[in-house]
Parts: sequence; structure tokens; C-alpha cells
Amino acid sequence: MSRAEAVRPAAPALATEGFARWGWTAASIILLLLLGGLVRFLDTNVATWFPKVAWLKSVEFPVYAIAVGLVGGVVLGALGLRDRLSAAFRTEFLIKTGLVLLGASINLAIIARAAGPAFVQSVVLISSVFLLSWWVGGRFGLDPKLRAVLSAAVSICGVSAAIAAAGAVAARKEQLVYVTSLVILFALPSIFIQPWLAQQLGLSHVVAGAWIGGNIDTTAAVTAAGTIVGDDALKIAAIVKQTQNALMGVVAVLLTAYFVFRVERVEGVSVGLGALWQRFPKFILGFIGASALATLFINASADTKGAGDIVATAGTNLRIWFFILAFVCIGLEFRPADVREAGVRPVAVFAVATIGNLVLALLLALLLFSNFHLS
Amino acid sequence: MTHGQVVAETEAPEASTPPQAGGWRINEDWAATVVGLILVVLVLVGIIGKGIIP
Repeated sequence: MSRAEAVRPAAPALATEGFARWGWTAASIILLLLLGGLVRFLDTNVATWFPKVAWLKSVEFPVYAIAVGLVGGVVLGALGLRDRLSAAFRTEFLIKTGLVLLGASINLAIIARAAGPAFVQSVVLISSVFLLSWWVGGRFGLDPKLRAVLSAAVSICGVSAAIAAAGAVAARKEQLVYVTSLVILFALPSIFIQPWLAQQLGLSHVVAGAWIGGNIDTTAAVTAAGTIVGDDALKIAAIVKQTQNALMGVVAVLLTAYFVFRVERVEGVSVGLGALWQRFPKFILGFIGASALATLFINASADTKGAGDIVATAGTNLRIWFFILAFVCIGLEFRPADVREAGVRPVAVFAVATIGNLVLALLLALLLFSNFHLS
Repeated sequence: MTHGQVVAETEAPEASTPPQAGGWRINEDWAATVVGLILVVLVLVGIIGKGIIP
């Protein structure tokens, strides 16, 4: 027997391993669909079970989805099955597919009109909150790489920005895990608190959407909070958030340059602009493409109202399913142990930056979106 | 290759695809775009009708 043959695992063992992996993946997909079905069932029936409890009627599906996910995560964790069954827990993929579908229900002209104020809001928010977080992180004595990852996460779009920034500054894996745990720790309560605050402040749905899109870090949490406020809020929140997402590549390139030239002071280095495209969130193209397709379809139809109904009904139901599955995944993937390991100082920095973000995003939303109308 | 290019192009993970051991290798941005647009087209041409999605 050659050395290579001795080292290579036996074919039957590989086949068994492959079958097992596919089996766990299939089980994971089935579990996720069952939990999604449970959410749909609860969303439809809970309010009818308790007709005297008036506030239950205003509970939207993201609340049930995250609650079901959290309970499911605890049960799977207790049974030691969470990692094996995690193949289908793809929050990012599910939420982005749902957002592409959301694009179909927004007229392209609205996206074009909202893009201007959304861009201004994003540029002001990202630079201000990033610098605030960077400064506070310095006062708390955080490592520069952790400061960079944390500042990108809190100022742009949570986990995706943290990953992009971690790559840009070559941060350690533990630093990335710390920050992504913090993002989820802060995003979960924001999903419920910010819609409530928007209601208490008497904000219009458009302004509330712009505030939510500008403040909450993860795209999934923005979508959940926007859904709780209402359909108009969701549309504006999605446009604002995706404008921020689109700027992620610019921040990543600037961070790379800053760390290479100022922090690490490496000689003879160039930063490739190809990184801009590499870090651009491509699903935004799908969002705009879906809007263009649906707008063309409706405008070209003889029965404009009928065509609009098709998109509104079938498209919305489909999108809601993707959002339900994504929100269930948020709950399933939440790990309190990761958050505990993050320590106090990064939590304090994140909290200060989040409060700054909350206030500034509200001011900008009022300033830029008070006179914006969807129709 | 310079250090900057190494940082920017090699060590940087895909912006929107969290690294997961044993996970799918597909870029989730492109996957979401393709799946989403296919579903939109299916809705527009009527294959996914009003009554199909519960």
C-alpha cells in the first residue's frame, strides 16, 4: 500500500460521512420549515384564542418568529443538537432573498426618490457614529483592531460590516466573534423597543422607517422592526439600510488604507480598489432589479390594478415566508455564552455608540424624511 | 503581491458571508439575488399565484 493510500480515508467511511451530512442538512431544513409553519400558525391564531387581550392583535409575526427561534435554540442547545442542525440556519441568505422580493413591491421611482435623502443620512450617520465609537473605544483602551471592527459594526450594518472590517484590518477571530455577539445582543431588544419608541414619539411611518434603518445594526433586525411598525416603514427602512450596506465597501477600503499606512506603517503598499466591488453587497442589485422588473410589468399590463394585485399578494406572501424563516434563525443562532465572553468594556463602547446613533438617526430622519411621501 | 493587497484581497472574508466551518461555500449575496429574482419572475408570469403561498 502506498503512503497516500494509507493516509486517505476509506471510501465507505467517506460515503457514510457524506450521507450523514446530507441527512443533518435535510433535517435542518425540515426543522426550520416546521418552526416557520408554527410561527404562521401562532400569528394567525393567538389573537383569536385570547379575544379579550386587545394588544395581542398588534403583535406581528417577527415577534412570534424570534420567540420561537429563541425557544428552539435553547431546546437544541440543551439536546446538544444545535451545531449539527445549523446547516439551514442562514439568516443572511433568507433575509436578503426576502429583501429582493420586497424590491418587487416598491415602485422604482420611489427607490430613486428615496435614494438621495437615504444617501445623505447614511454618509452623515456612518462617519459620525464611526468616529464617536472609535473615540470612545480609545478612551476605554480597546485594541485598535477591535475598535475598528466594533465601530464598523455599530455605524454601518452589524455583522456584515464587522466581517468586512475584520478582513480590512486583519483582526483576530475572537475579536470578530465578540463584536458579532454584541451586534446581536443590541439588535434583539431594538427590534421591539424602537417601534414602541416611534409610536410614543408620534413619528410617521416614513420617518420611523428612516430612523429604524439608520439606527439598528443588522439588516434582519431592521426588517423585523420595520415590519412591526408597518409596510411603509418597512419599505423606507429597507432603502435606508441598503444604502448604508452599499457604503460598506468604501469604509472597508478606507480602513484597510488607514491600518496599512498609519497604524502598521507598512512600506511600499497599495490598496486595491477591486476590494470595493468585492465588498459591495450584491443583493442590492437584486433589490433594484426586482423593483425594475415589477414596475415594468405593472406599467406594461393592460390591467394595471390586476397586475399590481398579483405582485402585492403572491410577492408579499412569499417575502413574509422568507422573513419568518430569517427571524426564526436569528433566535436559533443567538448564543448568550458568546455575549458573556465579550467582557464589559466593548459592551460599554457599543452602548455609548448606539445611543449616539439612536439620537443622530432620529434627527436626520426628521430632517430628511418628514416631507417624504411614498405615493 | 504587497501587504495591502494581501489584507484586502486574501484575508478579507466575503463581506456578507460569515465564515462557517462546514457551511455552504456559496456567496449568499449572489444566491439571494438569483433566488429572489427567479421567484419574482415566477410571480410575475403567474406560476406562483395568489393561492399557492399560504
